[in-house]
Amino acid sequence: MANPLTLLLPVIPGTGLQTIIDTLTKINPQVEAALNSVGTVHYARFLLLDLSTPNLQPGAGSGPYVLGVVTEYDGDFNAYIQDFAAKLGTIFNELLALAVGGNAVIPVADHINEFIAYIQKNDASQHLPNTGLYQAYTYTVQQILANGSD
Amino acid sequence: MADPIDYADVQGTVLRGYRVDLARHFVLSVTDVAGVGSFISHLIDGSGGLPRITRAAHWTEKPEYFVNIGLTCAGVAKLGLTAAELATFDLAFQRGATSDSSASLVGDVGTSAPANWIGGLADGLAVHIVLNLWVRGDPAILEKVTAQLRTAFKGCLTELSAHDAQALTDNFVHFGYHDNIAQPTVDGAPPRKHAIPDDQPIVPAGEFLLGYENAYGVKPSVTPVQLSTNSSYAAFRILEQDVAGFEQFLTTFAPKAGIDPEMLAAKVCGRWRNGNPLELMPDAPGTTLPMDQLNNFTYVNTDPSKDDTLGLRCAIGSHIRRSNPRNQAVVGTDSTHHRIVRRAMPYGPAYDPTHPDSTPRGLIGYFICGSLSNQFEFLQGQWNLTSAFVKSATGPGGSGDGNAVFNITGEDVFLGVNDPSYSSFTLAVLGPKGQNNKQITGFPRFITTRGGAYCFLPSITGLRYLATRASS
Repeated sequence: MANPLTLLLPVIPGTGLQTIIDTLTKINPQVEAALNSVGTVHYARFLLLDLSTPNLQPGAGSGPYVLGVVTEYDGDFNAYIQDFAAKLGTIFNELLALAVGGNAVIPVADHINEFIAYIQKNDASQHLPNTGLYQAYTYTVQQILANGSD
Repeated sequence: MADPIDYADVQGTVLRGYRVDLARHFVLSVTDVAGVGSFISHLIDGSGGLPRITRAAHWTEKPEYFVNIGLTCAGVAKLGLTAAELATFDLAFQRGATSDSSASLVGDVGTSAPANWIGGLADGLAVHIVLNLWVRGDPAILEKVTAQLRTAFKGCLTELSAHDAQALTDNFVHFGYHDNIAQPTVDGAPPRKHAIPDDQPIVPAGEFLLGYENAYGVKPSVTPVQLSTNSSYAAFRILEQDVAGFEQFLTTFAPKAGIDPEMLAAKVCGRWRNGNPLELMPDAPGTTLPMDQLNNFTYVNTDPSKDDTLGLRCAIGSHIRRSNPRNQAVVGTDSTHHRIVRRAMPYGPAYDPTHPDSTPRGLIGYFICGSLSNQFEFLQGQWNLTSAFVKSATGPGGSGDGNAVFNITGEDVFLGVNDPSYSSFTLAVLGPKGQNNKQITGFPRFITTRGGAYCFLPSITGLRYLATRASS
């Protein structure tokens, strides 16, 4: 049974679109290897919203922006928080450097208690009415990989 | 190079196994804060007719007894730490062992629930100090030092309970296994008197001591700074073992699995009862291996004849493999990031199968770590209580022989909740997708938690600071 993470990071006002794109471009090559290594994440993606446009789509507006990290993962996020910090710490550090209040949490490996509190506060999936998740299957990532290892 | 450890500032039990026959653990509640400050001061110095807190420093002659002290979150708060300061401590420590979230995470539910704990441990907020006395073997010394301690603390601490432990012959535990074999090798720690080498990475000191770099490359710390360097955490646990139930399990379920009861005993543990690991002695217990071989094995090996990725020799769900997967691939990071030091001893009389009785017996002591959340609770909650932590991996024969993911089910047979409605243990057999595996199901829980407390084991510097703060 997977769990959702919908981490919404309010980007520091004044941060330009290109700065955000540059950060995502910089960390993207690390993301796949890190998630493969962790081994519990089914899907993960970034989502950028522009609060200055009526339909929230980035490109035509000027911000401020909200940067989302959207994943479905197996297991207990808090139990694995230090492992996530070990494998994904540099990625979260880059993202949180853009976010309001993020500087108080980085480097995440050295601020575990604060990181947990930040996630709980900013994970929309932990706040009603966003807590639901539809799943077509109950397999874990590793069960799926094992089934496909022929 | 790692920072050298000042052994004289570390409580002895963190870095040293005392190898004693007797122990007594006092569960205490503070009634006079200033008096406790004075009591701790005297313990630090060994003054006022009190024994001296044992350090990890080398001794030329082994002491007759050893004394250490742990404080719960409620305890350090009682001595004056503020909420803002406590917020810098490990989250599990802040919650405490009796909290619903911790109890649920580690399987302290049902008959093991904190509400049922003995000796005043059920009321976590009233448990402030766990004072530990270990004695090499003379019961008279145990009573003599006990009397000294009780005389000193009677005016400032209420003794909620005292719990005795007594070693069984040759380091055996009540379930009949040779115990105390595997311990992490901690970078910079004193070497074990009798070396038991293994093929595992040396664990950074910060996994067990605040103020040193840990496996994540950071130096854990707390506020105030005087409490940081050389302090540690420990889960104090009283674990009652149902020996008759376990023996009944072996005789009932071994025939169902088509194996001998002693083979089933070895499979659920990962070692034969004489301590020999299945990885090295897969077919029969044999005579006990020399100490330098007893723990020297891995699960994954590039040599196909030595590889056990699939758990065909040592079951992936066995107790020792769950508690320390060694070089087996697991989700998250790896076993080096979640090690614990075990300082537990048997309590209660040895079980006599010719005269079965229901006298309480089990294990009592500390499980020591640098983070209760990431080590004790992680190990118990994620590795002992689930089977989803194993990464997809095939052995030398490829996927046609199976995959590690399919070769583990249920929870740890010893430390799991194991409600018979879902309990399960898998004996791996070659074949794709585990289709030839044998499973035994429907067995009950064999270990019940009778008590617990999450403790902070301050450095000597930290104890002095707490004593001064309590006295002021």
